Amino acid sequence: MTPNTGQVPEFQGAQRRRPGLRGWLLFSPLLLWLVAFVVAPTCIMFVYSFCQRDELGQVVFEFSLSNYGRVFDATYLKILWNSVLYAGITTAICLVVGYPVAYFIGRASEGVRNKLLMMVMVPFWTSFLIRTYAWMTILKSEGPLNGLLQYAHVIAAPLDILYTPTAVVIGLVYSYLPFMILPIYGSVEKLDNALIEAAFDLGARPVSAFSHVIIPLTRPGILAGVLLVFIPAIGMFAITDLMGGARVPMIGNVIQNQFGQARDWPFGAALGMTLLLLFAALFALTVRKDEDAAA
Amino acid sequence: MKSMAALLQLLFVSVFMLLGCSDSKPTPQATSGTGTGPAGSAAPQPAPAALKELNLFGWSEYVPQEVIDGFTKETGIKVNYETYASNEEMLSKLLAGSTKYDLIQPSEYVIEALVKQGKLEQLDHTKIPNLKNIAPDMKGLAHDPELKYGVPWMAGAAGIIVNTDKVKDEIKGFKDVFQDKYKGRIVALNDSRELVSWAMATHGLDANVVTAEVLEKVKPTLAAWIKLVKTFDSDSPKTPLLGGDVDLGVIWNGEAALLLKEDKKWKFIIPAEGAHMYIDSLAIPKGAPNKVGAQMFMDYALRPAVSKIISEKFPYTNPNAEARKLLTPEQLNNPASYPDLKGMKTFRDIGKMASDIDKLVTDLKAAN
Repeated sequence: MTPNTGQVPEFQGAQRRRPGLRGWLLFSPLLLWLVAFVVAPTCIMFVYSFCQRDELGQVVFEFSLSNYGRVFDATYLKILWNSVLYAGITTAICLVVGYPVAYFIGRASEGVRNKLLMMVMVPFWTSFLIRTYAWMTILKSEGPLNGLLQYAHVIAAPLDILYTPTAVVIGLVYSYLPFMILPIYGSVEKLDNALIEAAFDLGARPVSAFSHVIIPLTRPGILAGVLLVFIPAIGMFAITDLMGGARVPMIGNVIQNQFGQARDWPFGAALGMTLLLLFAALFALTVRKDEDAAA
Repeated sequence: MKSMAALLQLLFVSVFMLLGCSDSKPTPQATSGTGTGPAGSAAPQPAPAALKELNLFGWSEYVPQEVIDGFTKETGIKVNYETYASNEEMLSKLLAGSTKYDLIQPSEYVIEALVKQGKLEQLDHTKIPNLKNIAPDMKGLAHDPELKYGVPWMAGAAGIIVNTDKVKDEIKGFKDVFQDKYKGRIVALNDSRELVSWAMATHGLDANVVTAEVLEKVKPTLAAWIKLVKTFDSDSPKTPLLGGDVDLGVIWNGEAALLLKEDKKWKFIIPAEGAHMYIDSLAIPKGAPNKVGAQMFMDYALRPAVSKIISEKFPYTNPNAEARKLLTPEQLNNPASYPDLKGMKTFRDIGKMASDIDKLVTDLKAAN
């Protein structure tokens, strides 16, 4: 029983204790929630993905692999690639813009910090759809942005932004930026000043202090932010429909369309399952790398 | 590892928040069996068993709030108005069956398909006396000749809208719209059946004879057209036109009528290659909880004074002859509200081919 690894005994004891009835009771709401809203829908999707549809679009329970065959059609692979690209660009912009903001907020004095955090979160008080429509108004040809730029003689003719991929990326960055800022802020806030000072005392220049000390210490925040932006951005369909003119397809649009207009639930389910598997693999890979890095 | 657990938690929360946000339309609650009493004691018509709530699933930008409020005020029945942007979207939600809708607003070919599958309630004409107001030329159409299943709401045709300030060439038909020089200046309805029918018209094909060969034949045309379109919008195709983002397109006549009313620069044209007429009706899905209330709403909407409000707000072709008498000459002379529909055919149900049309358009848009 005596630990020879130098670990604190109580901690090991706590780890060994089995969860009692009380523990399970406390855990049950989460478990129920997970079963009802994650496991059950996924199972339904899994079954549907092997079914077929009838004339009106109702699901017919006849086993078929054709849906998965269609997923790997060149058309959809290209869309998937485009989605990864748009989500990647979005994540990169969010990281470059969000990191300095998060750092600044995290290092600010407490009073200022709370006010700044508030400002990051205030947009969530308004419906996401309304904010997207607001952006459409800003970006349209005869909208305020073009009006202002033309008035200031920066441009001669209105910029063509709305209903283009650029508009989609603007919309995505706008929507997901807080999801990058908040986790990074969490890491920055916990940053130990003594370690940075130590880096400087040992002769590090600002750049190497940043890349060798600050970045590794805020790594969990960066990683969380990247996942929080990249994964939802890939599946987004509302922004692409509204700001991209239902023309710049991302995989989320294709899936949503199968459950709406195209009325092909089995195919939509097959696309969804494929995407889910992809995310799971990506996630497992990230976790493994994180563990390797921690070890 | 601890950070990873926290991360996982955050991930779930955020994904659900976003999912929740992106689908924030109000969902009508299925009425339970509690409200079986007569609807509001002050109701003028004797309604033996109208429930207190009516779930209306209609096209967006089609049912004026005034009409809903007026109906509620008179009958005490609360109307939950949920909207859709295409017949297909409506079918998808209707057949999923999670919400019990009392009223839907399908177009003619969808009524035909739903009737074939036994998914609509037959109407009791004694409960809808105002049905007599419907113009003779809006009765006897092939999909529902005796109006047994649907009460006509609005009709019209999809046509070409042009901003003559920006487009100087004369536009006569689809071929003039879908030209390379208008790439990125075009709006089109986000409606697969419509889109395919336009391409078929330019090939001189009958919109109701859809086969695999026909689709193969129009595919190159459609593929080229879809590349030229800047935005697909069935909800409110006038919006990108008003915002200056596009200069021409093919949209619902009622949407075009609203533009024409505002400014002389807009021109509405029935395509030279041929157009078809559509007619949307109120219908009751099989097993609707509030069939009585639904028929009350149908009759209410058919009153000339009420139908006039609908026409004023959404100036499509009003099939209600009595209501048309109440409109101003200016409203009646709007070429987009009352295009010449004579001789135009309507869409018929094409069965399994409908899904092939969906697939073709989905794939072509995706390949874009």
